[in-house]
Order: sequence, then structure tokens, then C-alpha cells
Amino acid sequence: MNPAALIQRGLARRYRAEKRFKAYGLTAIVCGVGFLVFLLGTTFLNGYTALLQTYIAVDISIFDSDFDGDLGPESLSKGDYPGIIKRSLREAFPEATKRREKNELYRLVSSGAQYELLEKVVENPDLVGKTTTFWLLADDEVDVYMKGRIDPAVPEKNRRLKDRSIAWIEQLRNQDRIKRSFNILFFTNGDSREPEQAGIIGAVMGSVFTILVTMLLAFPIGVAAAIYLQEFARKNRFTDLIEVNINNLAAVPSIIFGLLGLAIFLNFFHMPRSIPLVGGMVLALMTLPTIIISSRAALGAVPPSIREAALGVGASPVQTVLHHVLPLAMPGMLTGTIIGLAQALGETAPLLVIGMVAFIVDIPGSPMDPGTALPVQIYLWADSPERAFVERTSAAIMVLLLFLVAINGLIVLLRKKFERHW
Amino acid sequence: MNQTASDIPEPIERNISEDPLNDPNYKTVGEVTSPNAAMTTKNVNVHYGNKQAIFNVSLDVGKNEVLAMIGPSGCGKSTFIRCLNRMNDTIDACRIEGDIRLEGEDIYSRNMDVVLLRARVGMVFQKPNPFPKSVYDNVAYGVNLHGLSSTKSGLDDIVEDALKRAGLWDEVSDRLDQPGTGLSGGQQQRLCIARAIAISPEIILMDEPCSALDPIATAKIEELIDELSKRYSICIVTHSMQQAARVSQRTAYFHLGKLIEVGATDIIFTNPSHRLTEGYITGRFG
Repeated sequence: MNPAALIQRGLARRYRAEKRFKAYGLTAIVCGVGFLVFLLGTTFLNGYTALLQTYIAVDISIFDSDFDGDLGPESLSKGDYPGIIKRSLREAFPEATKRREKNELYRLVSSGAQYELLEKVVENPDLVGKTTTFWLLADDEVDVYMKGRIDPAVPEKNRRLKDRSIAWIEQLRNQDRIKRSFNILFFTNGDSREPEQAGIIGAVMGSVFTILVTMLLAFPIGVAAAIYLQEFARKNRFTDLIEVNINNLAAVPSIIFGLLGLAIFLNFFHMPRSIPLVGGMVLALMTLPTIIISSRAALGAVPPSIREAALGVGASPVQTVLHHVLPLAMPGMLTGTIIGLAQALGETAPLLVIGMVAFIVDIPGSPMDPGTALPVQIYLWADSPERAFVERTSAAIMVLLLFLVAINGLIVLLRKKFERHW
Repeated sequence: MNQTASDIPEPIERNISEDPLNDPNYKTVGEVTSPNAAMTTKNVNVHYGNKQAIFNVSLDVGKNEVLAMIGPSGCGKSTFIRCLNRMNDTIDACRIEGDIRLEGEDIYSRNMDVVLLRARVGMVFQKPNPFPKSVYDNVAYGVNLHGLSSTKSGLDDIVEDALKRAGLWDEVSDRLDQPGTGLSGGQQQRLCIARAIAISPEIILMDEPCSALDPIATAKIEELIDELSKRYSICIVTHSMQQAARVSQRTAYFHLGKLIEVGATDIIFTNPSHRLTEGYITGRFG
């Protein structure tokens, strides 16, 4: 048989193998995309409702007698606002007479509503002595019901929102005294035990400071270490040992880094607990191996001819690296940094260990203020029993993903800027 | 050790070893020294780890001379030329013994600054390797690095002069801000030559500068080498015997790490003394 015939005989088998392989690849991609769509889809469907918040219109009468003293700003800020709101609710729903009924009535409105009212009154003292319609922040159970996530068909004892409350809500709905509007509190408040008052900005700021510290520490140290190891260090047992250790560190579970941070930064150096500075330092330790490994790979990929060219015109080794090798390796280094920072941004375990899991209502204003981080906030909310935290958890996930996209976008832009062809 | 004009070169032994590769005391045939040397090398041995690449080579580079180094692949000519501006320093396993002097100064001594050495001994590599920067920046880089010009117009003049002497000015004068990597191979190599001569070296080392170029680009570079030899000393490693014959005044023949024969180019190519040299230039091996 001649060679051509032999080849011909095997061709069909080869093409079949090719088709099979393509099918495997396509299946893998479809699976991957499917899971991704499912993840993003459920997150969005659960979370988009968190962008809306229910408010209830209540006619509120404020009397001079609600305040002690001269009705100056001092006196106005000390008024009995919970009492005012309760009185107004009783007037709106006079049928609530028993103590239990009244308590249920009061629970329609969020405990945070009094502070909004306080602000408005202090801002505008003329409200005293008048009856004005206010849109008050509704309680989370009311909000969840309005979003259709409570089924009135469920037996009453199995839900926190009782039939009587539902009747009131329906009454309000018929009177057009209940509305849903954009949930600005979610983007301006820190954490809260009350879901309707809980916001994400505290966790966002905590994450911003943490990642900032991580980036400022891990990128320069990682790049410098990579340059030294790749360009200057002599190959010997010691550098081999360092290399093996760095590769191993990249695979160490993050909780171990958290414990290391706890032992060194908190227990030995007595740094404050729960602060993004320490969080950032721990995450920098965790990110360093990733950045070093990818930076070394990027440096190794720069053609040696560029180094020779620079050395050949009399550049010193440091000048060769800084002027020629580093700019060419920068895109690869930034890719490694993206991977490292994305990992750090989503990291929860080490932050739990150093106390960034504490319940902190204040929004951190600097890396030295106690704070939490987005993944920890997600963990905290996912762990909370209130129904309204479910949608907030999903919304926080969306914020985390947006944050991630923003950081990646920034680094991709930087990489584009440094990218050069040779 | 001072090299003075009064040092009389040792007389060369006329009895030619027939088996230089197994003779540890092999003496190069021909005149290895130069009366007007820009660079002298004596008894250079180079090891890569346990493997010895260069055996006891002594060879001078004369002023304003084009010295060609020929020999089959792996004979050590590139290794040798890279010793002359200490480019081998970057290779960890490389160990160099012997005495290499530039204008009487030992280039491997502690006092020799390697940056200054490489500014005085420029190099052009086998593969054109312009920086991924503009044509202008490629030439200006070394000038700025060494602070050879304090003004922008002075720098412009140096760049223009270097490009003119490299015979590239007419082709690139209107695109100095374009990337140097966008030029053709031959233009890139001339750009690398311009980059080397912009810092006014004393010696230019060329490691197979034309091996990646077509005959027309090669002819241009060869013309350029001729022109450059009026001002610089040039060491060129080449695989092309025709090229060695065309551009050089002296030719050194390397074989498996040993310098077999050195002599005036026309003598080497017409009447070589050693049978290995003869074998190579007549094409029996190599």
C-alpha cells in the first residue's frame, strides 16, 4: 500500500477525534457559562429588590408639649420622637386598642424613623404645632411583604408578620399611603441590626482601605522581590530554597495567614483589632507569593536580547532593569497583581481572625478606624435570621462584584498603558 | 604589568602542531600581537561550569583595524568576543582567566568600571535588538545614560551624526519618533550600530552582525564597517568567509576553543599555514 492510501485510511479517525475534542471543549464552555449565568442570575434576582425600600405615609402632629424647654435646637433634639410617632400611628389606626395590638402597630414603622423625624424637625422648627404628612421608613417585615416575599397563605404562627399587620398594610396600600422608593440608605448607612437601616458603605470603605493597604504593600514589595530573585540573585541553594518556599506559600490556606497576623501584628506588636490597616497587611502577606511568582514569570519572558542591548551600551544592571526590562514586564506583573488583589478582595477567613468581623456601625474614615470588609459583611448578613437580609446579602454580593470589576478595570487600563510591542 | 612598545613579541614557533586539539601547549600560528594594539589579550581561558570553552587564546586588536574571527560553530569565537567587554559577566557559570587589557588597563581588575568599559567597547549583536522605543530614543539612550550631551540640540546633533555614520539617516530622518522595532531587519541592525557609535566607543565588537540579514542589507553593513574602521577598531565574528575576506585586514581562525591561526586576511585566505585553517576555508568542514 502506498503512503497516500495509508494516510487516507487514518484520516477519518483523525477527523473524528478532532470533532470529539471540539465537542468536549464546547461542553466545558457551556457548563462554565451556565454556572456563571446561574450564579449571577440568582444573585441579581435575589438582590435587585434591595434597591427599593418601603415607606409609610403617616400624618404626624407635633405639639409644644412634646418638648421640654424653649424649643431651641437643643430642646428640639431631645424631644420624645418615639412617642410622637406612636401617637400618630394610634390616631391613624384607632382600632388598635389593646396593648398587644398597639405594639404590633408600632412595629409597622422602623425604629430608625424617629431619627429621620428628629432631623427634619431640627432642620425646620416650624413643624412644631402642625400636622404634616411624613413618609416614614417601614419595618423590614413590611418591606419584605410589600416585595411579595411573604405568603399570607402560610399559617399565621409560622410568620412574623401577623394577619392584623397585613390588614393594616393593605389598608395603607388602598389609601396610597405606602410606597416603595430608591433605597438610598443602603448606600449611605453602615451596618445595622435592623435590615431596613443596614447599609453597605461601611463595608465598602473597609474594603477600600484594606485593599489600598494591600496594594501599597504587596505590589512594591512583590515586584522588588521578584526583580532581585530573577535579575540579581545568584543561583544557589539558598535562592532555590527561597523559591520553593514562595511557591509553597502561594498554596497556604488563607486562615493560616490570618493566624500569623493575629500572632504577630495584634499579639506581638499590639496593633488595634478590627482595623483595615492590619487586614491589609495580612492580605498583603497572602498576596505576595502570587505577585512574586507572576512577576518573575513576566521578567523571565522579557527577551534576553533587550538586556544585552542595554548592557552593551553601558547601562548598569539596575538601569537595564529599570529602563528596559521592568517596563516590558509590567503588563505581566499587573496581571499577577489583578489575580492577587481579586483573591485578597474576596478573602474572608484571615479577616475574621483579626477581628474585622465585629459588628461596626460607624463608617471607617481611615485605615486606622475599626471596620469590616465586603466579604465579611456578606458572611454576617447571610448569617442573620431576618428575611430582609437575604436580599441585602445578594445586593452586597453585587456590590462586591462591581468593586472587583472596577479594580480589574483599573489594572487593565494601567496594563494597556504599559503594553509595548517589540 | 605595563605593556610598552619596547616589549618585543616572542618569536613564533614555526613547527606547526598537527594535532592542536589534543596539544595543551598549542601555540597559535601567525602573529597574535599587534604593534599598535587597542586591546591585548593573553592566555585567555574561559570555562562554563566544568566545560572549557576557550583554551589559552592570545590575540591583539590593532587600532583602526578590522579583525575578523572565523571558525565553525561552537568554536568559541562568540565567547571570546564577549569577554572583551565583559558581557559574559551576566552568565553565572562563566569563569574567565587570563589577561585582557584595553589601552594597557586590565579590564578584569577591580579598578575597571564595567559600565565605563562597555561605553568604550561597544557591541553589536547577532540579532538586531533595538529597544522597543522610538528610533531617536534608541540612539539617544546611551548618550543620555552617560551624560554626553547637556543640551537638547547637542543631543539632536549626536543622534543625527550617529545615524548618518550608520548610513541610516536618509531612511529614517522623517520618522525618528516611530518605533525602532518597526524598521526592516537591515535598518534595525544599522540602528543598533548607530546606537553603539553614538557614545563614541574606541572599539566596536560585532557578533555575526549580518547573519539575520539579506545580501543587500549585508552589503550595506559591510560598506559601513569599512567606513567605521577609519575611526574605530572593529572586531567582527562572522560565519561568512567572503565577508571576512571583504571587510577585514586580519583574520583569526578558531577551532574548538583554540585560536589556530592568525594572519593578514589575504594570506589566510590564499595561503593558510595550518591544515585546519586550510580545511575550513576550502570548505572541507565547518
